[in-house]
Amino acid sequence: MWRIATRLRLLILFAALAVLPYLLSYSQQEIAVLLVINVLLVCSYRLLTLTGEWSLGHVVMMGVGAYASALLTKRLGVPVPVSMLAGGLAAAAVAAILSVPLFRMKGFYFLIGSFAAGEIIRLIWKRFTDPFGGPKGLKRIDAFPNIDFGFLEIDFYEPVNYYFLALIVVSASLYVLHRIERSRIGLTFHAIHWQDRLAESVGVDNFRYRTLAFVIASFFAGIAGGLYGHYVGAVNPTRFGVDQMVYVLVWAIVGGTATLHGPILGVVVLTVINEIVLRGLGLDTVRPLIYGAILILSVLYLPDGLESLGPRLRARLRRRGRDPAAAGGRAA
Amino acid sequence: MSRKSLDGKITRRKFLGSSAASGATLAAIGAGLPRVAFAADAVIKIGFLAPLTGPVAAWGKPGLDGCLIWADWVNAKGGVKIGGKSHKIEFVGYDNEYDAAKARTGATKLIKEDGVKFVMMLGGDTWPGVQKIAEREGMLFSTLLPSDLSPETKTLLAPCEVHPIYNVTGVEWLAENKKELKTAAICAQDDALGKPSVATYLAAFEAAGIEMVDKPEFFDPATTDFAPVMTKLLAKKPDILCLDTCYADYVHPLCEQAFQQGYKGQIISCTADFYQKIIEKTSKEFMEGFIFQFPDFDDPAMNSKGVNFVKPNEFYAEYAKRYGASEWGAVSWEYASIMDLWADAAARAGSADPGPVLEAMKAGGTGKHAFGDAKWWGKELFGIDNALVGDWPVVAIEDGKARIKAFKSIPAWWDKHSKLMIKHMTALGQMWNQR
Repeated sequence: MWRIATRLRLLILFAALAVLPYLLSYSQQEIAVLLVINVLLVCSYRLLTLTGEWSLGHVVMMGVGAYASALLTKRLGVPVPVSMLAGGLAAAAVAAILSVPLFRMKGFYFLIGSFAAGEIIRLIWKRFTDPFGGPKGLKRIDAFPNIDFGFLEIDFYEPVNYYFLALIVVSASLYVLHRIERSRIGLTFHAIHWQDRLAESVGVDNFRYRTLAFVIASFFAGIAGGLYGHYVGAVNPTRFGVDQMVYVLVWAIVGGTATLHGPILGVVVLTVINEIVLRGLGLDTVRPLIYGAILILSVLYLPDGLESLGPRLRARLRRRGRDPAAAGGRAA
Repeated sequence: MSRKSLDGKITRRKFLGSSAASGATLAAIGAGLPRVAFAADAVIKIGFLAPLTGPVAAWGKPGLDGCLIWADWVNAKGGVKIGGKSHKIEFVGYDNEYDAAKARTGATKLIKEDGVKFVMMLGGDTWPGVQKIAEREGMLFSTLLPSDLSPETKTLLAPCEVHPIYNVTGVEWLAENKKELKTAAICAQDDALGKPSVATYLAAFEAAGIEMVDKPEFFDPATTDFAPVMTKLLAKKPDILCLDTCYADYVHPLCEQAFQQGYKGQIISCTADFYQKIIEKTSKEFMEGFIFQFPDFDDPAMNSKGVNFVKPNEFYAEYAKRYGASEWGAVSWEYASIMDLWADAAARAGSADPGPVLEAMKAGGTGKHAFGDAKWWGKELFGIDNALVGDWPVVAIEDGKARIKAFKSIPAWWDKHSKLMIKHMTALGQMWNQR
């Protein structure tokens, strides 16, 4: 019964996502594309946080994927879909190398170490104009190739088409991330987070599992980078700086990281508020102020993130059901 | 209607719910209303796609503020006459936060939803996100950074600021007027704006016979502590401290550091946005003689015959009245001056459409630049003659106030020293065919 209800919910969700771009304006479709890519970025970040480690280099991993994919298409003529996958693999490989020094550290030290590692990568992009384009980065990156079925031509310059491409890639990635979390490996990640010494005492190799989480998270961040680079057509080191990382942290904190849908809620709600509502109200120049206020309020009043709203509401309704008089009295 | 809604009780939840719904409805209606009640067919919309928030906002927001003054003045006189009919001008702004992806979204919104006829940008990191849209839509764009120019995009113009080439005029003036200055040190943020500017200053110093005491000091744009940067710059005791084209957020702390570390020599910089605030943080004496390239428009020299900017002194006074004199910056007048060119070209073309306006703007290979008549130029440096180049002012701070010292010719410098410029641009990978 539970499985049927879940499947039904997913069916409704995908139907809504399929209809969504047709209800949006052209520029809102553009925002939707970037939003879908950011969903993958923040969900992949959550996988790393399952082990209890918060990194400041995740956006740089996205950049590694974007740069690798862009260079493979520009320099070697690799087809874009293949280069996107290769971008993910490149980010995973870089993460595997970085994990050697980084996972000698834990907690706050890991956070700072990941920031330093990310900055080193960004400095490499800046320093070596060939092949990384220096501070200006790479531009005129090949777009995802159009598909021509004869009766139907799909032009991926159009945001609505790229939205569906990104949606397919991100949905598949989220499914994989979900399966990993529900697997024995995912349970081990949780165990390392909450009881790392105990896990170690029963034979869990913490270093290996932390590395695995970092590598998988970076792989999907790299895929997000590939999707981004081939859509926007340009990447530069500033785009993958600490400012962008702060956004990822805010999405994760505001949404919550206990469930897979927590960070998705965070990125969707904050992007809609920031990019559509506040811009629509003509509040362009005060958006950072309002964004900051939302962050402070959500940390104060929703410390477990937006994902805790549902369970809170359900608990409240249950209490109301048990004691309607008391609940009614409170509401009035 | 349900019984619940008729019982007359207003609970806190109902009140909050209905207030939120009313607020949202009002906001939606408000957002949908036009700002000015002109007849729709007599209004021409111009896009303003620049950073209005964030660290680069100083080169976006003051420009939009200047444009609003421009629009008020032009509209008060009946608008721009195109094809025998007067058109009001309305600016539609979009904050791209100096991000390529947001610039892409903004460009599509402005073109496809707002129906703008021309889009003004700061350019730089944001241009690559827009380039494809410009090419596909055939929309006319302007940039303040000619390093965005390339032969692929024929509809991108740099009609006002020929950054960083005009920086040569400041160095040339120094060499002519302060012959005792023999050495220089330079720093810049390591980004798309800093590097071509460093190449330009290196060429200008070499042309002027001024020796660099060290390699250029490139610092990361995320830098917040400028003490080590300044210590390194001053270590070899240069006669001239060159701050390149640093953002306002860097120029201010760099000056503070130079002041605190006891520097008393000559400073040259591309910009000195909000320089009154630098004086407040340092001293009038410290800033005396500071050379840069952007005048206050209340300068009497702005009334000289060659200047094409319309009523510069009045423009500055109005800007100071609306936003405060200390908010005047490098770009406060630039986008407005581009609008002068656009309006003139649209009137001559008899159309606001991008193609005819572009043709009219470039007709005869010359144009009326804010600082004097100029020519469309740039093939050697940018691969296309889409930059309007002529004279540019050299400005010095004297007794706490920016004063124009001279208008100097960029083409004249180029004719003598183009090889030096190309040499340094190539060395830093900044030529159009290297980008």
